[in-house]
Amino acid sequence: MRILRSLEVWKLGIVNYLDALKLQEKLVVDRKSHKICDILLSLQHPPTYTVGKRRTDHNLLIPQSELERVGAELHYTQRGGDITFHGPHQAILYPIISLREIGLGARSYVEKLELTMIELAAKYGVKACPGQAGETGVWVEQRRKIGAIGVRISNGITSHGLAFNINPDLTYFGHIVPCGISDKEVTSLRRETGPVLPDEEIIQEQLVSCFARNFGYSSLIWKEGTPVFSDKDDIK
Amino acid sequence: MALRMWASSTANALKISCVSRPLISRCFSTVLDGLKYASSHEWVKHEGSVATVGITDHAQDHLGEVVFVDLPEPGGSVAQGSSFGAVESVKATSDVNSPISGEIVEVNTKLTEAPGLVNSSPYEEGWMIKIKPKNPSELDSLFGAKEYTKFCEEEDAAH
Repeated sequence: MRILRSLEVWKLGIVNYLDALKLQEKLVVDRKSHKICDILLSLQHPPTYTVGKRRTDHNLLIPQSELERVGAELHYTQRGGDITFHGPHQAILYPIISLREIGLGARSYVEKLELTMIELAAKYGVKACPGQAGETGVWVEQRRKIGAIGVRISNGITSHGLAFNINPDLTYFGHIVPCGISDKEVTSLRRETGPVLPDEEIIQEQLVSCFARNFGYSSLIWKEGTPVFSDKDDIK
Repeated sequence: MALRMWASSTANALKISCVSRPLISRCFSTVLDGLKYASSHEWVKHEGSVATVGITDHAQDHLGEVVFVDLPEPGGSVAQGSSFGAVESVKATSDVNSPISGEIVEVNTKLTEAPGLVNSSPYEEGWMIKIKPKNPSELDSLFGAKEYTKFCEEEDAAH
């Protein structure tokens, strides 16, 4: 018998990277102690470079002193994966879910995140696939990366997640070796499709729906707005 | 199918090389008799004053190819159920927890150069840390081989 599972979706708009990280850390603790159910954060970031647990900052091609000039921040994180860029018009999903409750390991989880982005691309006629071995992410014609993944799993609870390029400024990727892979390109939905895409909010909601379907959630509870931390550190 | 072939070849290798008796589970991951197991898929082998810890065959299979292992320095202490390090696979960093409390006396430095040992030899060359147990009775709260096998089956059936 399949238990009916619901997912709370928080639509947060553009959120500073560190604020989103702080929120995720709090939610992971609450999810682990069963205070909350599975939550999906749907957001975008201002221009931000991030590096994973292996600290591969040698893949940042400009000196850190130049970051302010290009209008970007750099953050070191505990997620898997190499260096990447996040910015406006790139849809980000951070699932805070319990993998143990659905019997998924890291590999299956990441495969489903890839499928989520592949399905969204397909809605716009873009044929995307998972990467070859060692190249986790979503690719068009195995050459152009349209979606990236970098995840952390702690006591079976996920944080960080996926980033799908709707129409970000791709020149920012020129300042890094994206994901440590030097001989391929980065692309976006805008670049791969015809001239007219619907409103970004619609595309981001479709991404959420693809996620919910892939992970077997039977109902979604949508919440909007930016959470505020009070003195007592409760999320409002 | 590939998983079944892989599991049986691993089992054959274990039969040749080690004294523990493999107990093949229906989920095709190898579970060894004589070890104790945590619900977070780490194993512990208690031999005298030292206990060796690693992750199970079930765990490494569910992780995918391990590309990086983050381990602590020897000399630190660890509490039962708390994280002592992490592994990275498929762009996912997964915490590894200690099944018992104690002092870390040795760390498998081979995993820095050869993280794939966790996949190819999770119970032998892929060991992660050795601990001087603080409280050996903690081992009683862990799963034995049969219980762990059943636990894996139930967890995998959940999706």
